[in-house]
Amino acid sequence: MFNRLAWPVTTAVVIVMLGGCSPQKYSSNINEGLVYCSESDPISMNPQLDTSTTTADATAHQIYNRLLEFDPESGRIRPSLASSWTISDNGLVYRFELRQGVQFHNTAYFTPSRTFSADDVLFSFNRWRLQEHEFHPVSGGYYPYFESLGLADNIADIKKVNSHRIEITLRQRDSSFLANIASDFSVILSAEYGDALMSAGIPEQIDELPIGTGPFKYSDYKQNHYIRYDINQAYWQTVPAHSLIFDITPKSSLRLAKLMTGECDAVAFPARVDHAIIREREDLVLAEKAGLNIGFWAFNTQRAPFDNPLVRKALAYAIDKNTLLEAVYFDSAIRAKSLLPEASWAYQADANDTGYNPVLARKLLDEAGIKPGFTMSIWAIPVERAYNPNARKMAELIQRYLAEIDVEVNIVSYDWTTFRRQLRQGNHDSVLIGWSADNGDPDNFYRPLLSCDAIPSGTNRARWCNRAYDDILDRALQTENIDIRKALYLQANELIFDKLPLVPIAHAFRYQAYREELSGMVINPYGGVRLGGVTKARD
Amino acid sequence: MSRFSLYDDEAHPSPWQQTWQAFKSSHIALVGLALLMLFVFFAFFAPLVTPYDPNSQNTEALLIPPSWAANGSITHLFGTDALGRDLFSRIMYGCRVTFGTSLLVVIIAMLIGVTIGTIAGMLSGVRSSVMNHLLDALMAIPTLLIAIIIVGILGSGLVNSMWAITLALIPQFIHHTRSFVRSEMKKDYIQSSTLDGANYLQVFYYSILPNMIEMLVVQGALALSVAILDISALGFLNLGAQAPLPELGAILAAGLDAGYLAPWNIALPGITIFLMVLSITIVGDGLRSALRKRVNR
Amino acid sequence: MIRILLRYLVLFSLTFLTLSALSFSLVYLFPTEPVTTLTGITPQNLVQHEALVTQYHLDDSYLVQFAHYLGDLFNGNWGVSLFSGEPLLDEIMLALPATIELSAYAMSIVLVVGIPLGCYSGLKAYTGSDYTINSVSVVVNSVPVVWLAVIFILTFSLQFGWLPLSGRINLLFDIPSQTGFLFIDILLTDNIDTARALKDAFLHLILPTLAIAFISTAALVRITRRSVIDVLNQPYIIAARAKGLSSRQIFFRHVLRNALLPALPLLAMQITTLITNAMIVETLFSWPGIGSWLIQAIYQRDYSALRMGMLAVSTLVVMITIAIDLFNRLIDPSREKYESVTI
Repeated sequence: MFNRLAWPVTTAVVIVMLGGCSPQKYSSNINEGLVYCSESDPISMNPQLDTSTTTADATAHQIYNRLLEFDPESGRIRPSLASSWTISDNGLVYRFELRQGVQFHNTAYFTPSRTFSADDVLFSFNRWRLQEHEFHPVSGGYYPYFESLGLADNIADIKKVNSHRIEITLRQRDSSFLANIASDFSVILSAEYGDALMSAGIPEQIDELPIGTGPFKYSDYKQNHYIRYDINQAYWQTVPAHSLIFDITPKSSLRLAKLMTGECDAVAFPARVDHAIIREREDLVLAEKAGLNIGFWAFNTQRAPFDNPLVRKALAYAIDKNTLLEAVYFDSAIRAKSLLPEASWAYQADANDTGYNPVLARKLLDEAGIKPGFTMSIWAIPVERAYNPNARKMAELIQRYLAEIDVEVNIVSYDWTTFRRQLRQGNHDSVLIGWSADNGDPDNFYRPLLSCDAIPSGTNRARWCNRAYDDILDRALQTENIDIRKALYLQANELIFDKLPLVPIAHAFRYQAYREELSGMVINPYGGVRLGGVTKARD
Repeated sequence: MSRFSLYDDEAHPSPWQQTWQAFKSSHIALVGLALLMLFVFFAFFAPLVTPYDPNSQNTEALLIPPSWAANGSITHLFGTDALGRDLFSRIMYGCRVTFGTSLLVVIIAMLIGVTIGTIAGMLSGVRSSVMNHLLDALMAIPTLLIAIIIVGILGSGLVNSMWAITLALIPQFIHHTRSFVRSEMKKDYIQSSTLDGANYLQVFYYSILPNMIEMLVVQGALALSVAILDISALGFLNLGAQAPLPELGAILAAGLDAGYLAPWNIALPGITIFLMVLSITIVGDGLRSALRKRVNR
Repeated sequence: MIRILLRYLVLFSLTFLTLSALSFSLVYLFPTEPVTTLTGITPQNLVQHEALVTQYHLDDSYLVQFAHYLGDLFNGNWGVSLFSGEPLLDEIMLALPATIELSAYAMSIVLVVGIPLGCYSGLKAYTGSDYTINSVSVVVNSVPVVWLAVIFILTFSLQFGWLPLSGRINLLFDIPSQTGFLFIDILLTDNIDTARALKDAFLHLILPTLAIAFISTAALVRITRRSVIDVLNQPYIIAARAKGLSSRQIFFRHVLRNALLPALPLLAMQITTLITNAMIVETLFSWPGIGSWLIQAIYQRDYSALRMGMLAVSTLVVMITIAIDLFNRLIDPSREKYESVTI
């Protein structure tokens, strides 16, 4: 009798397996929406409050629009909610013409009674700009992006000229101003929604149940699990073809597995080790694009003997950058000569670069009076970053190169929080770290990385202060003329090469893996992922 | 027998010898025992047999396939992991960590459990049924839950996960010791020694304990396999052993990250845990049926 | 009968009291402020701190605090999660059904496959087929559940692409949670393609269920087999045989009942193992159940969630165990102490 029992079980199992059979991908017939597998929970639904990529990915380009935006292909600033803009001759007054008839999201929790207008811009900007604004203290009252750039202080006034025209007056010229306005963080919120929430006594809701003008409407969020977005049928640009789901999947191996089974249509941050597999498969696409970032080796120029440019130069000549690129980035990076990556309009193709020359390195050290057996420390960031996927490994490689010129190296690594605190106190000899830009403007590289003011704010890891360099940067902001600015940045490059406070190593690629059914996936080098224009072929 | 036997007496093997005779008759049990001995050997002598330091990384040799694969290398028998560490060395050390800690956990749990269980079984006063049932009910709390709570209080780490598993194993030892002692206390030979004036301690040491050892070995084998599965599961969930400590579950978890490119990083640690548990189960089963045969004889 | 019921009721109450006392002591054991662990709220200032302390009677003696703690438990005031700020009662009521669902399906497979196989093996003891079944179950019983789940994923999801590997249902089906039990929720949801949703949910269920069921089935086969062999050696079976009963009659009248009864307590222990395995498997298959919820909570050091999650899961498991125990006692009241079989 038990033999008889075994058969139904076996048959059932076989039927189940055949029933689900559609080779390589189980869910080929479900395509009402787009599933993007992201790596983590966003901190907030409002990118004004947080600078992390995760928050920007989930909100900036899905829910919101900005006045201006970057063209992901060319990097040029183009109109968005502002249809045009003019700048006064002295470069201090910006006048924005606002788009008419743009609808805010109509959702279960808010029904807009009017379209986008100057009031919304004032509300959104004044929230982070003015301490006394009633929404400023809501949700913590900390707006890291704008504070780190000093943007709030530099805006003297924002004036509503009429319902669709505003005027922003700056205290000092700032040619990166438009770029900052176009960055992921300068989103436009609804003033009407804010007022409604304030009178209902629940202002925090503005950052939890967001209202914007973007291609998708927020629908539902379950922590560690998913974020659901509906199509904004009234979107003022092309209405997206699909609704959108963020499937929050922290493990990169699981994200890859879900991409293979078709449970994800696109994934965030495919791990380097999996690139070969994604390339191998015909149903997956691995898009790459040079990122707006730089990984470098910075010397603490306030500590002897690294205050001597000769020593810094010697160390730079002692390493072979190409090997580092190969072993650490698996060749998924471009050799860096100056601070700026190729994608920037101020990129200098013929910038000076240090080659691998251990003999010269030793000679320079002798000139500087450094005896063989000199010991120094290299600090390696303990976390994986786009600009440096494995700093520890890079440090070990450099350790071996420096051994050839009789310099001994201690590799230092703390827990990430402790690491940053110690680094800010300047306890390092040298550090392997990097920078990812928030917008396409060259100033976003030159100023935070090496200007005198950036030493206390902690982004100038070389602790290098050079008045001539700062002067060049300031002059570059005083003009809108691209050629003049470019010429000034070339001067800055020369100065950096001459003094070498840091050794530029690599501009790493950014990656995006998705299924081949998708079209319209474009890597946005200037911040968060954009999914509004993506369509999925029916098969 | 080389010894001269004065009397033409039948040889009377000791109970242990009888058990061994019965155990030996099963080939599978012997194979299991050999395998188990191999793991014990690795646990004790891992530093002697491993070709590399389990934590030394080699960036020139990332994810090398095992030696039997087409493009494998004989320098790394089991290949290497994503950090270029020799997988063979890591797994050998993993046996040491996983097997060793499990053994320790079982011994501690056994000592505590037997003590409490004996007291509960011998003293009729503590025989409150509610107390016993309560203990049985608490026995049902999943190990993982206990581990999560302990990690919450003390933080994650191999030692803390050991405490959790010890706590989870103790009730079972109490349970078995208690019922064994109680049934034994009713027997005549205990009564006679009580009448001889032996106190509780003496009764336990001279009369009950020798009879209990076999039960403890069998229960211990069962507990050992449970402990290994639990320790590796906690290591896998990153609640137990922390990187870079080579623990089999943690090695398996690390292998997942490069799982598609380097499946041997998943297969080999998994197979090792599996074989370890299998060998213990086989030996435990063999012992149990050998004991059963002896008693029935 | 009523006496037995009453005894078990007392037993359950006492166990629950012990468990809630344990979860209450966690308030003081966890390395955060007691106020925070108890309420899930991190006080922003001293005034709020004072207010919370007064509201939760934290300045009273431990006994008074515990009494209030119990009161809050029964009123459904379980505090909020430190991490998400959601009420814990809601979160647990969302996660627990998913785990119960998964475990229930796995358990039914275990029973439906395990008992017949075990009986068959026991009846044919020491023959070729018994030998095969027994060795297969020894082997399967030794497989670490995480590894089995990973192998399943690699084979059936990635290699063949037959089955999905994450969650209860494709996220594209927006099923609002009403009962927490997915299949019922699907039937209750309008404006979706019910048939496709059901099929999709079923496909999602297969791998995690099988991964859990495999191991427990192997254990149950071994338990049942040993129990049947023991019963077959009893004198009353020989008597029945002498009476001339067919082996079919012997099996159904004498063997089955007497073999399954002593196996029940061991089955109860298997439920604990099964739920533990379910919790581990959940994390691998991103199954939104209580196991992955608790493990997420420990990764985030969400102490208030841990405290309530511990109480909810342990109460559930203990309740099941006691219920099986009670059931056993009710169908066989003569048995003062049933000695459970060994494997």
